[in-house]
Amino acid sequence: METLGHILNGFSVCLQPMNLWYTFVGVLIGTIVGILPGIGPAASIALLIPMTFGMDPTSGLIMMAGIYYGTKYGGSATAILIRTPGEASSVMTSLDGYEMARNGRAGAALAVAAIGSFLAGTIGVLALTLFALPLSAVALKFGPAEYFCLMLFALTSVAALAGKSPAKGMLATVLGLMIATIGIDLQSGQQRFTAGIAELQDGVGFIVVVVGMFALAEVFRGLEQLYRGTAPEAMRIVGKLWLTRTEWQRSVGPIWRGGVIGFIVGVLPGAGGTIASLLSYATEKRLSKHPEEFGKGAIEGVAGPEAANNSDTAGAMVPLLTLGVPGGGATAVIMGAFIMHGIQPGPLLFQNRPDLVWGLIDSMYIGNIMLLILNLPLIGLFVRLLYIPSGILYPLIIAISVIGTYAINGSMFELYLILFFGVAGYLFDKVQIPVAPLVLSLVLAGIMEQSFRQALTISDGNLSTFVNSGISATLVTMSILSIAVPFVLPKFKWRKKSAV
Amino acid sequence: MKADRAIVVCSVLLAAVYFYAIEQIPSREIGDPLGAKAIPRILGVFLLLSAGLLMLEMRLARKNGQVTEDGGAPEDGRHYLVVGTVVILTLLYFAVFERLGYAVATSIYLNGLMAFFNRGRWKANILTSTLFSFGSYILFTKLFGAQLAPGILPF
Repeated sequence: METLGHILNGFSVCLQPMNLWYTFVGVLIGTIVGILPGIGPAASIALLIPMTFGMDPTSGLIMMAGIYYGTKYGGSATAILIRTPGEASSVMTSLDGYEMARNGRAGAALAVAAIGSFLAGTIGVLALTLFALPLSAVALKFGPAEYFCLMLFALTSVAALAGKSPAKGMLATVLGLMIATIGIDLQSGQQRFTAGIAELQDGVGFIVVVVGMFALAEVFRGLEQLYRGTAPEAMRIVGKLWLTRTEWQRSVGPIWRGGVIGFIVGVLPGAGGTIASLLSYATEKRLSKHPEEFGKGAIEGVAGPEAANNSDTAGAMVPLLTLGVPGGGATAVIMGAFIMHGIQPGPLLFQNRPDLVWGLIDSMYIGNIMLLILNLPLIGLFVRLLYIPSGILYPLIIAISVIGTYAINGSMFELYLILFFGVAGYLFDKVQIPVAPLVLSLVLAGIMEQSFRQALTISDGNLSTFVNSGISATLVTMSILSIAVPFVLPKFKWRKKSAV
Repeated sequence: MKADRAIVVCSVLLAAVYFYAIEQIPSREIGDPLGAKAIPRILGVFLLLSAGLLMLEMRLARKNGQVTEDGGAPEDGRHYLVVGTVVILTLLYFAVFERLGYAVATSIYLNGLMAFFNRGRWKANILTSTLFSFGSYILFTKLFGAQLAPGILPF
C-alpha cells in the first residue's frame, strides 16, 4: 500500500509538463546517441551534466536516465543495419539481426527490437518498483564497514567481469582509485599528488575522465578505422516495420524470458547488458526447436537479447538507487550526476526525497512508451543518422566534448586532461584494459575511503570490523571469490582434463 | 603477450613513482588514526598485486597453450601516425582556444580535420564546421548561459 502511494506520487511528479519534456529530450538524445557511433551513454550523460546545473535536479536526473535507457533502443538499429553494435550490449542482436536484414527482413528485426525493448523495459521498471523499497529498508541497517565491503564487492565483480582478463580489470580499478586520491584529502585537509598544480587541488573531475576515456578515445578509434577503410557501411531498411503472425508468436516467449534474465543480471554489479543479452541468446538457442537457424536470422536471437538488454537498465537502477552503488560505467556517471546535484543516492534517498526517486522511477514507464513511438514509426528517420559521413561526425564529437568540459569550470587545464585521458583510453583499448572499472572506482572512491576511515575510527583501528557482521563477512568473501575464481577455475579444469 | 609484458613493467614503474609521491605527503595524523597516506599505500600494494596477477595470467595462458605472441604480418603503423597527428592538432587547437575564442578556433580545427577525413567535399566541410561552431557558441552562451571563450569575437 505504501509503495502504491509512492507510485502515484511519482506519477504526479513525472507527468508535470516540464518533466515530461525532459523525459522526451532524454529518450530522444538516447536514441540518437545509441544510433550514432563514437559516443556511448556514459560519455553523453557526462557531457550533458553541465546543461542540467540550472535545472531542477528531478528534471535533470529524469533526462539523464532517459538517455541511459534510450541508448539501448538506438543501439539495436546499428547492430541490425551495419552489424556494428552502437553499444557493447547489442552485440548479440547483431548476429541474427544483421542476417535478418540481409534476408530482407530489416523492418521486422527493427520492429521486434523495439517491441521487445518496450515490453522488457516495462517488466524491468515494474520489478524495480516492487523491489526498491524493501531493499532500501535493508540497506538502512548498513554501517560504514558494511558499506565499504559492499563497494569493495561492486568493484571486484566489475573488475572480474569487465574484460577478458580479471587482472587487467583489477588494474583499471586500482588506477581509478589512484586518480581519485589526487587532490585535497577531505579528512586531514592535506594535499595529495597535486604536484603544486592549483587546478588539481579539487581533484580530477570524473566528467573529465569519462569524456576523455569514452568519447575522445572512441573518436580516435573511429578515425583510425576510417583511415584504414574498415568503417562499416549501413544497409537500407527493406520490408515493413512490423511482424508477421508467425514472427510475433516466435518472439513472445523470448521477450518475457529476456525481460526476467535482464533484470536479474542488471541488479548484479559488473554483469551488465552484454552478459544479460548473451545469457538470453544462449537460453533461446537451447530452448529453440530450430537451433540451427541461430546466427542465420532467427527472430528469437533478436527478441530475447534486445529484451534482456533493456530490462537490464531497470535492474541496474536497483543498486544505484537503493544502495548508492552503481554496477557499471553508465550508472557510475549517473551517480556522479546525482552527487553533482548535491544528492547522495542510497537508502536515505527514499526517505528524504521520495518525490525525486519515485518521479524518476515512474518516468521510466513514460519514457519506454515514448521510445516505442520514436522507434517504430520514426525509426526510418533516425537511421538516416547512420548515413552522416564519419569524417564529419567524429570531429564534431570532439567539439561537443570540448563544450561539455569547458562549460563546467572554464578551465583550459581540464581540456588538456580530457586529451590525456582520451589518449590513455585509446591505448587501454589497444592493450585490452577495460575502462568501465576505472570510471566506477573513480566515482566510488570518495565514499569508499570515507567509509573505510569511519569504520576504523569507530572500531579504534581494529581491522576485524570488516568481518565482524554477517553482511560484511559475506561481502568480503564474495569479493575475494570474484577475483580468485577466474584464476583457480581454469587450473582446476586443466587438471581434470589432464586426469582424463 | 608483448603488450601484457609492457603493462606489467609500466605498472611496477608507476607503483615506484606512486610510493615515492606518497612519502612526499606530510605526516599530520592528529584526529585521524589512518592519515592521508594509508589509502594510497594500500593502493600502491594493490597496483603491484595487479601486475603480479597479470603475470600469473600470462603464465597460465602459456601453460594452457593459449599464447598469442603478437606474431603474423607486421602491422602498418601509419594509423598510429594519423591518430598522433589528430592529437597534435587538438593540442594546437587548445593552445589557441582562449586567444581566438571557441567559435573561431573550433571552426578552423574542424575544417582541418574534415579536410583530411572527409576529403573532396570541401563545401560541406566548410559549411558544417562554420555553422556548427558559431551555432553552438550562440546556443550555449546565449541560450544555456554556459561559458565558452569569446576570444576575438565581440559578443
